[in-house]
Amino acid sequence: MGVTDSDLKPPRFGENFLQKVAKSDLLDFVLGDLEELYRKRRQQGLSKWKADSLFALEVIDVCRPFILKKRSNNSNTNTMIIKGLKVSWRNMLRQKFYASIKIGGLAVGMASFVMIALFIQEEMSYDQHYEHGDRIYRLINDYRDPARDYGKTKGTDFPPQTKEVLETSFPEVEKSGRLLPHDWFDGGSGQFRRKDRVQSNYEEGIAYADPSLFEILEIPMVYGDRVQSLSQPNAIVLSKSKADKYFPGENPIGQTIILNENQDNPYVVGGVMEDFPSNHHLQFDFFITLYERQFWPGEQTNWCCWNYNTYVMLKEGADPRELEDKLLLIRDDYMVKYQEEQGDAGVEDTKKYLFLLLQPIKDIHLYSADIWDNMPRGDVSVVRIFTLVAIFIILLAIINFVNLSTAKSANRAKEVGLRKVIGSEKKHLIFQFLVESCLFATIAVAIGLVLAWIALPLFNDLANKDLSLLGFGWGSIPMLMGFILLISLAAGLYPAFYLSAFSPLSVLKGNLSRGSKSSVLRSGLVILQFTVSISLIVGAILVHNQMQYILNKDLGFNKDQTLMIQGANSLAGNGIDVLADELASLPEVVSTSYSDYMPVTGTKRDQNNFWLEGRSQIDKSVSAQRWGVDVDYIETMGMQLLEGRDFSNMASDSAAIIINETMARELGLKDPIGARIENWQTYTVIGLVKDFHFNNMKEEIRPLSLVLRNWGANVIVKMNTDNLTETMKSITAKWDEFMPNQPIRYTFLDAAFAKMYDQVKRTADVFTAFSILAIFVACLGLFGLSAFMAEQRVKEISIRKVLGATAQVIFNLLSFSFLKLVAVALILASGVSWWFMDNWLADFKYQIDIEWWVFLIAGLLTGGIALLTVSYESIKAIFLNPIKGLRSE
Amino acid sequence: MKLGAFEEMVLLAVGSLGEEAYGVAVKELLKEKTGKNPSIGALHSALYRLEEKGCLTSSEGGATAERGGRRKKYYSITSAGKNLLEETNKLRMEFARNIQGLNLSGSD
Repeated sequence: MGVTDSDLKPPRFGENFLQKVAKSDLLDFVLGDLEELYRKRRQQGLSKWKADSLFALEVIDVCRPFILKKRSNNSNTNTMIIKGLKVSWRNMLRQKFYASIKIGGLAVGMASFVMIALFIQEEMSYDQHYEHGDRIYRLINDYRDPARDYGKTKGTDFPPQTKEVLETSFPEVEKSGRLLPHDWFDGGSGQFRRKDRVQSNYEEGIAYADPSLFEILEIPMVYGDRVQSLSQPNAIVLSKSKADKYFPGENPIGQTIILNENQDNPYVVGGVMEDFPSNHHLQFDFFITLYERQFWPGEQTNWCCWNYNTYVMLKEGADPRELEDKLLLIRDDYMVKYQEEQGDAGVEDTKKYLFLLLQPIKDIHLYSADIWDNMPRGDVSVVRIFTLVAIFIILLAIINFVNLSTAKSANRAKEVGLRKVIGSEKKHLIFQFLVESCLFATIAVAIGLVLAWIALPLFNDLANKDLSLLGFGWGSIPMLMGFILLISLAAGLYPAFYLSAFSPLSVLKGNLSRGSKSSVLRSGLVILQFTVSISLIVGAILVHNQMQYILNKDLGFNKDQTLMIQGANSLAGNGIDVLADELASLPEVVSTSYSDYMPVTGTKRDQNNFWLEGRSQIDKSVSAQRWGVDVDYIETMGMQLLEGRDFSNMASDSAAIIINETMARELGLKDPIGARIENWQTYTVIGLVKDFHFNNMKEEIRPLSLVLRNWGANVIVKMNTDNLTETMKSITAKWDEFMPNQPIRYTFLDAAFAKMYDQVKRTADVFTAFSILAIFVACLGLFGLSAFMAEQRVKEISIRKVLGATAQVIFNLLSFSFLKLVAVALILASGVSWWFMDNWLADFKYQIDIEWWVFLIAGLLTGGIALLTVSYESIKAIFLNPIKGLRSE
Repeated sequence: MKLGAFEEMVLLAVGSLGEEAYGVAVKELLKEKTGKNPSIGALHSALYRLEEKGCLTSSEGGATAERGGRRKKYYSITSAGKNLLEETNKLRMEFARNIQGLNLSGSD
């Protein structure tokens, strides 16, 4: 069989393929060699199939770096970049004013972005550090009764034996541990001292915990063993900083601690743990063991009382969703059974509505907004809002960049035209403009980082955080580079295509001043900028108003001029009663009272089930607070008694109860006075108190009752604050008489109240600050644009002036075009911000109405600032001597 | 500057081919002398590196039909390349001299 010439040609695919992938100009020679070899092989009698296979292998083998890339000595990429940078730099220097606006806006945007990014990073970093973090969960109960709409339906408290059942009945559970974070017995806060010292100190952050909780939470120990340190009765673990405070330079294991002057129940230090990092969902300094603890006889085996936060660690590979379904066994076999034994009428609801969920530990900080756990938590919606704000500010800065670049295009048109005539391709021009935006972005990012570094202390103050630029770590440098590139592309892409599209002919003929023409897009972008700015301002105003509303709302009690002395529970016997009486006798003091319970968060709460007498087996219970107070409580707190009478010191009042309006309503009492209700004991209602807010105002007022009790941790002092220093001196002196070893600790009720809303207020402040920055960036852009417009129209203005136009006319001419845009933006922003803020306010049970004047104010404010910005250039144009404007050409 | 073992072979081959050193010729010479058959990819990769290092220069030659009308790239060794070969060889000899019982005369 003869071999024809066409048979000697290698298959086409090799060339096709290599020509696609290879960039090097060596390709031609390599292909030639390959073909020569192929031909030789065929001529030596190798079969076509074998030669083809060999050829294919060789083609693949050729795909090495040297042939895939352009030969560097022929490439002009580097030259282009260097050249591009040089030209951009010169352009920047020639247009200092516009360049500084572009860069300034981007820099402010970057600084805001960096700070917000740090903030968000910190919020997201909570509880990410566990070795087995994906197996640690918190148990959540969800009571989905549609009738009980209290906002939050989920809770974290469980009966004590839940832990045991979890460990024994579910093979998926590796271990479980409980935490008792409440102000309970010695938990919460209290007076703390070494047994061998006299002076007690007030300490916060005390909780009860199981030894197994230390294992689950992987708590690092300084002294002692993670498991052993809590594995004996009355053991206590201190944080390192507290150990250093009370036992400087020694190992405190085995030392004895007295809490709240209770000598009968001393604690023994079992270990020292590292301080909790600030991004941990728990912040405690002391853990008292739950090992062999029983708070009252039978407490540990009773399913009555839900007090324990329960954590679980699952076995590897266990599916938490499947387990959640199985957990209903706890509800059915224990919780429901208990209610049935008690004859509780709520049992059917429990079967229907109660669900048990597992919350991943990593979600606790940000995703607990609908969970009652009484601890300060972040909120994922705040993170989302701030992310949005950061993106907005960057967006505004990018819009400035695009607007000014396209507006100034007339100045670059000649350059583009000439380059094209000389032979520049479109893609080279695009590249040139992208290099330029890259240069700008890099400078802006550098300045932005410096700005962020300067402003960070302020921001920390505002947000109550401890952020540092170092928080990003080295790993963020590639991200920063990527970010610069992203901004360069976002800001540079449109101008690059726009500018490079000029036709050289029309440009060089000189009839192109496209800067002022294609302004539709520019107007659109300005409208977008101001829509964002106005929306942010509306948001800031409404958030501020809502805060003011909450802080000044009629609360149903008087928080002014009221002092709350804390920690009086360590007074022995009826000491608190005597102290209160003696304080009341001071001249400046109006009245005094004492109680564990106060209408601010951070004080005790006691949730109970109530029924009308004799109906506990028939009706559903009404869940209500039961606060133990003394006889002067209602008067001192300035609460209002609507019906009936206040407590008196009669012996019979030990079974008397005063209820609030909501509770009367839920119990169905039209005429509550004299009604008899029961929980563990039977009470007679003697008074009806006007509803007062005792929880965060995001929630509705819930049922509450007051009973007489003659002890409490807080002494409440209503006083005349005309001469505060003197009054405080005499109150302190009185306290020291009673408690020489315990320094006085107090807070004013209005301050404690304000603290409840601290986080909301901080969020609002941060939000306001960034809104101001946003409008600053927007106005910066407007300033640049208006300057450009005035510059463009300088001849027109000069001619108008020569022909007799007044200053007024020229001012209107230059300003109105911008104000029109602001007006359009106002209409858009009203809709957008109304929708957003309506959603935000829906979170609050007690909320302000969104009124039209808010939009008007935001509009006027923005319009005013825009007008001021623009008028600088307008006035400059007005005072321009027309000769100067007309003399050239 | 470093010279890899394969690069050294290629350099030697180019040098000994004189005027006729292009891809296929070098490949065949190497096959003949060493018994190993380098792939075109490996060979051009080495030629490319050697040119980058300044050991080789290249010129383009005429196209022939057997190459499908494609030109040849002829390589020739530069004085830098020669120096490098000498250095490498010197180094080798210095070591080899210290090895006892090694026949360096080249004759069997």
